[in-house]
Amino acid sequence: MIICVILIPLLAGILVPLLPFRKRCHKEIFLEGAVILNSILVWYLLLHHSESTFLLAHFTGDLNISFRVDGMSMVFAGLVSGLWPLATLYAFEYMTKEDHENTFFLFYTITYGVTLGIAFAANLLTMYFFYELLTLVTVPLVMHTLTREAILASRKYLYYSLGGAAFAFIGLIMIIVYGTTTDFILGGVLDPLKIGDRTNVLLLIYVMAFMGFGVKAAVCPFNSWLPQAGVAPTPVTALLHAVAVVKSGAFAIIRLTYYSFGTDFLQGTWAQTTVMIVVMFTIVYGCSRALKETHIKRRLAYSTISNLSYILFGAVIMTPLGLTGAITHLAFHAVMKISSFFCAGAIMHQTDKRYVHELNGMGYKMPWVFGIFTISSLALMGVPGLAGFISKWNLAGAAVDSKNPLAYAGIACLLISALLTAIYMLSIVVRAFFPGRDFDDGPIQNVHDPNWKMLLPLMVFTVFIILFGVHSQPIVDFFYDVATGVY
Amino acid sequence: MDFICNFPFFSILLSLFSGTICSILPGKAAKIVNRVVIITVGILSGILLVYLLDSGESFVYWMGHFPAPWGNEIRAGVLEAGMALFFCIIMYLSMAGGAHKLFDEVEESKHNLYYILINLLLSSLLALVYTNDMFTAYVFVEINTISACGLIMIRQVGRTIEAAVRYMIMSLLGSGLLLFGLCIMYDLTGHLLMSNIKESVSLLIQNGEYQIPLIVSIALMCVGLCIKSALFPFHAWLPDAYGYSTVSSAAILSSLVSKGYIFLLIKIIYRVIGFDIFNSTRIIDVLFVFGLMGMIFGSLSAIKEGDIRRMIAFSSVAQIGYIYMGFGMGTQAGMVASVFHILSHAATKSLLFIAAIGLTEVSGGSRKFIDLTGAGYRNKWAGVAFTAGSLSMVGVPLFSGFISKLLFAQAAVQVEGKMLAALIVLGISTVLNAIYFMKTVIRIYTAAGDTPYPCITFKDMKVHAVVLILFVILNVLLGVSSQPIVNMIEQGLAMFA
Amino acid sequence: MYLILLPILFPILAGFCLLAYRKDPGRKLLTITTGICLVITGALVVVALMGTKQGLTLFHLTKKLPIYFNIDKISVIFSLLTVIVFLCAGFFSFVYMKHEQKEKRYYGYYLMAFGVLNALCFAGNLITFYLFFELLTLSSFPLVLHTGSKEAVMAGLKYLFYSLCGAYASLFGIYFLYHNCETLTFTAGGVLQISPASREGSFFLLIAFVMILGFGVKAGMFPMHAWLPTAHPAAPAPASAVLSAVIVKAGVLALIRVIYFIFGTGFLQGSWVQTAWLTLTLVTIFMGSMLAYREPVLKKRLAYSTVSQLYYILFGLAVMNEEAFTGSLLHVLAHGFIKSTLFLTAGAIIYTTGKTRVDELRGIGKKMPFTMWCYTIVSLGLIGIPPTGGFVSKWYLAMGGLTGDIGIFRYLGAAVLLVSALLTAGYLLPLTIQGFFPGADYDDTACRKQEPARLMTIPILCLTILSVLVGLFPNIITNYLTDFVSTLL
Repeated sequence: MIICVILIPLLAGILVPLLPFRKRCHKEIFLEGAVILNSILVWYLLLHHSESTFLLAHFTGDLNISFRVDGMSMVFAGLVSGLWPLATLYAFEYMTKEDHENTFFLFYTITYGVTLGIAFAANLLTMYFFYELLTLVTVPLVMHTLTREAILASRKYLYYSLGGAAFAFIGLIMIIVYGTTTDFILGGVLDPLKIGDRTNVLLLIYVMAFMGFGVKAAVCPFNSWLPQAGVAPTPVTALLHAVAVVKSGAFAIIRLTYYSFGTDFLQGTWAQTTVMIVVMFTIVYGCSRALKETHIKRRLAYSTISNLSYILFGAVIMTPLGLTGAITHLAFHAVMKISSFFCAGAIMHQTDKRYVHELNGMGYKMPWVFGIFTISSLALMGVPGLAGFISKWNLAGAAVDSKNPLAYAGIACLLISALLTAIYMLSIVVRAFFPGRDFDDGPIQNVHDPNWKMLLPLMVFTVFIILFGVHSQPIVDFFYDVATGVY
Repeated sequence: MDFICNFPFFSILLSLFSGTICSILPGKAAKIVNRVVIITVGILSGILLVYLLDSGESFVYWMGHFPAPWGNEIRAGVLEAGMALFFCIIMYLSMAGGAHKLFDEVEESKHNLYYILINLLLSSLLALVYTNDMFTAYVFVEINTISACGLIMIRQVGRTIEAAVRYMIMSLLGSGLLLFGLCIMYDLTGHLLMSNIKESVSLLIQNGEYQIPLIVSIALMCVGLCIKSALFPFHAWLPDAYGYSTVSSAAILSSLVSKGYIFLLIKIIYRVIGFDIFNSTRIIDVLFVFGLMGMIFGSLSAIKEGDIRRMIAFSSVAQIGYIYMGFGMGTQAGMVASVFHILSHAATKSLLFIAAIGLTEVSGGSRKFIDLTGAGYRNKWAGVAFTAGSLSMVGVPLFSGFISKLLFAQAAVQVEGKMLAALIVLGISTVLNAIYFMKTVIRIYTAAGDTPYPCITFKDMKVHAVVLILFVILNVLLGVSSQPIVNMIEQGLAMFA
Repeated sequence: MYLILLPILFPILAGFCLLAYRKDPGRKLLTITTGICLVITGALVVVALMGTKQGLTLFHLTKKLPIYFNIDKISVIFSLLTVIVFLCAGFFSFVYMKHEQKEKRYYGYYLMAFGVLNALCFAGNLITFYLFFELLTLSSFPLVLHTGSKEAVMAGLKYLFYSLCGAYASLFGIYFLYHNCETLTFTAGGVLQISPASREGSFFLLIAFVMILGFGVKAGMFPMHAWLPTAHPAAPAPASAVLSAVIVKAGVLALIRVIYFIFGTGFLQGSWVQTAWLTLTLVTIFMGSMLAYREPVLKKRLAYSTVSQLYYILFGLAVMNEEAFTGSLLHVLAHGFIKSTLFLTAGAIIYTTGKTRVDELRGIGKKMPFTMWCYTIVSLGLIGIPPTGGFVSKWYLAMGGLTGDIGIFRYLGAAVLLVSALLTAGYLLPLTIQGFFPGADYDDTACRKQEPARLMTIPILCLTILSVLVGLFPNIITNYLTDFVSTLL
C-alpha cells in the first residue's frame, strides 16, 4: 500500500509522454485523476495506518529501504497530498502558456511520489535516498524554460542540494555508527555506550548535518539557490519551492533532530546554540532581502527563506512544544505561501508582469487574485484570525516556555521578521489597490481574473487560511500529539 | 591439486600468446581473437572465483612445479579471482564500447597492433593480480607500462605523442623507484617471493634491525606505485594520457591500468610487508594526506577544465585520492572501502569515458563543453548513461558511488584521529564532484537551439548503446546489492594475510 | 447577549459591502447610505452599552485564547467619544469629500475603522484587543493615503509600518504574559502574579517597558512619534480629525488596558519603568509643543499638538494615582472633542480657501467668523483656560502629579504642564489673532463671507459645545468614575 502511493505518481508521470492523448483535456483528466486517486489512497493510508514497517530492499548490512507511517509522516504526507491535486489543477491552466509541458508533467508528477517517499521513510537511509532523488527529479523542472537564467539556476540548485546532502550524509554515517538503529524513533537512537567521550564530535557532526539538510530548507548562507530557482514555472515555484522541496529540508531536519540524534542529547549544548543563531539570522536575513527584491516571485522566495527558518526555529527549541510550533508552521506556511505564489503566478499568467512596480492599480482589475493575495499577506504577517498568527503564536509560546534566553531573542527575530513581512507584502497590496492619484489604467484595461482552474485552488487555500486562523484547536492538538509521540 | 588451479596460469599465458598471434593476423581477425581471449579469461576467472569461494582458501601455484627460489609462484585467492573477472568485464565492455571509434582514431594498418597491446596489457594485469613473486611483478609492471604507452601513442596525433612521452617518463620513474625499493628489500631479506619476504620482514621488525632501510624500501615501493597510479601530486601525466588517447584506451587506462598498480600495492601491503607493520609506519599518514589533497585538487582541476575528456580524467585523480585515503586510514574497513572503490570507480569511469565519446560524436567530434550543449538530446542513450555515471560519481544512492562513499565514511568514523578530516574532505569532495559532473549533465541537457549536428538513434549505435546499458546495470548492481561483494572483499583480504 | 457584536459587525460589514460593490452608486446615494449606516451604528453602540450586562466569549482561537468582549466604564467613555467624533466627522466629510476622488473607498474604510474601534473599546481580553488593534491599523491606513499623492502614500505606509512595529513589540510582551498569567482577561488591578523584585519580575519589567513603547507608538510616543506629524496632515481633514481625536486614543486605551488591567499598578509603581515612562512623556509633551510652535503648516501644527496633548494623558496614566487617572480620562474626552474640532475647522478652511499655511490665513476671521470662533473657543480649551474642558483635566493631572509618589517628577510634571500650556497658547492663538486682527495694512474690501455649508458647520458646532460641556460639568464624569477608578489602583 505505501509503495503504491509512491509508485502511482511515478507511473502516471512516465506515462504522460508515452500515451497518445488526442486532446489536451484527456491528458488533464488522466493526470488529475491519477493525482487525486493517489491523494485519496494517501489519506486512506493515514487514517488506517498500521504500526508495521514495510521493507522494500536491503542495502548493505542492516541498512534497508523501508517505509512506515508515523505522526510526522502523517503531517507531511497529508499536507502534500492535500496540496498536490489543487496545484496540478492550477498547473494545467498555467502551462498553457509554456512549452513542452509533457516533460513538465512527467517530472512534476514523479516529484509527488518522491516527496511521499520522504514522508513515509522509516529510517534515515530511506529518507536520504528519496531526498537525493527529490533533488534530481526537480532539476528538470527548474531547468524547464531552458533559458540561460534557468540553466544557471538549476545548476546552482543542484550544486547546493547535492553538496548539502553530502554533509547530511555524514550525519547519516554517525547515526549508523553510533546509533542503535537508523529507524526513526522519537527521542533519538544514539547509544550512549558507543558515544563515550565523543560528544563534541557528534555535536559538530550534528551541526554539519543540520546545515546539510538546511541547504534545502534554505538556511543562511546556503539560501541563494532558492530565489534563483524562481525562474521555474510558477506551479513549481509554488508547490516545490514553497512546500515540497523546501519543506522536505525542514522535515529532514526535524527527523534528524528529534528522531535520530534526539533532543535529550542536543538540548542545551553548544550545537543547539549554534543552529539557533543560524536560524535566527536567517529569519531576519530572508526578510530583509525580500524587502530589497522587486521581482515578485523572488520576493516571495526570500520570504519563504525566512519562513522556513521559523519552522527550524521551532524545531531547534527542542521541546515538544517547539516541535508542535514547527509542525504547525510547516503546515500553515505551506498553505499561505502556496496561495501567495499562485497569486503571483496568476498575475504573471494574465499580464506577464513580474515586477512589483508594474502592479499599480491591478487590484481593481483582478479583484479576486489580489483579494486572496491580501489575505495571504495578512496571514503571513501574522494578523490574528488568520493561520499565520496561530503558528507564530505556537512558536513564540514554545520559545517562552523553553526558558532559553536565546529563544527569547528568537521571538524578537520573529517579530522583526513579521514587521518586515508586513512591509514587503503590503507594499504590493498598497500598490495594487492604491495606485496613486494620477494613475492611468489604460494599459491594463483588458486585464481580468483568470478562469476557475486557477481561482478554485486559490479559494480553497484562502478558506483554509481563515479556517486554521479561527478554529485551529483540533489540528494543533493533533500536532501536539504528533510531537509527543502519541501517533 | 585441482585442474582449476591451473586457470590463473592459463589466463596469463593465453593472453600473452594471443598477443603474439595477433601480430600476424589482419585487424578484423585480431579483433575477434582479442574478444575471444577476454571472454575466455573472464570465464576462467569466473570459474576460479566460484571454486575459491567454495573452497574458502587460497592456493599457491608453482609454475612447472619448481619450488622457489628457482620457480615462479602464482597465488590465487578470492580477491585475485574476483579482480581478474572484474577486469575482464570492464575491458570487454570498454573495447566493445569504443570499437566503432577505432576506425576514426587509429590507422587501418595498426589495428592488429592495437589488439596486441590490449592483449599484452591484459596479460600483464592478470600477472600483477596473480603473482606471488616481486620480481615477476616488476617485470609485468614494465610490460604494462610499455603496452599502456603504446595504447596512448597509437593514435598518432601530436598531442598523444607528447602525452605518451610524458607518461613514459613518469611511469619509468615510478618503476625505477619500485625497483630501488625492491632491491633494498631483496638486500635486506634475501628473498623475492612475497611470503618469504614477509617472514623475514617480521623477523627484522622483531629484532629491531635495519629499521631505516626497511622503511626506505617500503616508501620507495609505495612512491613508485603512487606515481604510476597517479596519486596527487604525481598526476601530471594523467589528463593528457587519458584525454587524448583512443576512447577504449582511455577507459581501460583509467579504470584498469592504474587499478592494477593499486592492487599490486595492496598485495605488497598485505603479503610483503604485513598489514600491521605497514600501518605502524608513518607512510600511511602520508598516503592519507595526499589522498585527501588529491580528492580536492583533482576535483578543482576538473572544475576548471573545459574539455569533457580531460575533465573525466581529472576526476580520476580525485577518485584515486579516495582510494589512497582508504589505505591511509590503516584499518581493515578502510581497506575494504578502497577495494570496493576500485571496483566502483572502474565501472563508473569507463562508463563515463564511453558515454562521453557518444556525446562528442554528436557534437561534431568536439569535446569542448560549449559544443556539447544539448548533446543529451541528440544521443539519448549516451546522455542517460553519462547522467547515471555522474550520479554514481556524486554518490547518489542506488549507484555504486554511494556505497563506496558509505563504506569510506563508516571506515573513517572508526579512526579517531582522522575521522573529522576524512569526513569533511569527503563532504567537500562530493560538493566539488557535484559541481563539475552536474554542470556537464545540465550542459548536455540544455537546449542548443539550431545545431548542425545530427541526432543519433538506437539503430545507429546498437553496440554502443548496449554497452552503455550494461555499464549502467553493472553500476546499479554494485550499488544495490553491494553486500555480497563487500563480503567477498573481506573474505579475500582475510585470505591475503 | 450578542447585542455587543452588532455595533462591531454592522459597520464592518457595511464598509466591506461598500468596498466590494463595484459600480458607482452616485454621490447622493452614497452619502445617504453612509450617513444612515453611521447613525445606525451610533444607535447600536448606545443600545449595546445599555443592554449589555455580561461579557461574551465568541469563540476560541486556541484552547486558551478566547475572543471575548465585555463592557466596563472605560469602554463606555471611549466608545462614546468614538461615536460622537465619528458621527460628526462623518457628516462633515459628506461635504468635504466633494473635492476628493474615490469617495466610496473612503467611506468603506471609514465605516470599517468605526466598527473596529468599537470592537477595540469592547474587547474584554488582551488577545481580542490585539486582534482589533492590528485591524485598526489596517483599516485606517487607507484613510491616510486616500488622496493618493505621493506624500500621502508614503505617509500611509509610514503610519502602517510604525503602527505594526509597535503592535509587534507589544505582541512580544503578550507572548510572555500569556505564559505567565492565568488569564489575559482584563481585570481591574492586574492579573500578573509576579513580584517585581524577583528575577523573573525584573524581566517582566522589561516586558512592560517594551509593551509601553509598543502601544505607545500608536499614541505617538517619542521616539516613535515620527509617523504622526506625517500621517495626520496627509489624510483628508475629517480623517485627520478621526485619527487625531480617536484612533490615537486607541494607543491610550491600550496602555490603560495593559498597565491597569494586566500588569497592575502595584507591579510598576516605583520601578524604573515608571520613571522611564514619565521621562518619556514629559519629553514628548515638551517636544511636541516646541515642534508645533515652529510648524508653519496648520494641519501639521495640529498634529504636533496632538503628540504633545496625548502625553498629558499618558503622563496621567504614568503617575498611577486616582486624580491623575481621572484627569487622563477627562483629557481623553476633552482632547478628543477639541482636536477633532480643530482639525475640522482646519478642513473647513482648506475646503473654502485652499490655503494650508498659517501665515497665509491673515484675516480669515473676517471671512469665516463662525468657524474661527469655534476654533478660538476650543483653542482656549486646549490651553487650559477655565471653564473649558482642558482646564479641568489639566487641573486633575497637575493635582495627581503633585500628590503622586513619583519623586522629582512631582514638580517637574507640573512645570512641564505649565510651560507646555504656554507653548500651546503660542501655537494656537496666532491664527486667531491674525485671523481677527489682520493688521492695518489688510485690505478689508476684498473679503466677503465665505462660511462653509451647514453640514460642515453643525458638526463643528456640536463638538465645540461638547468640549465646553466637559469643562462645565466635569462632575458627571468624575462621579461616574470615582468608584471604578479606586478599584483599579
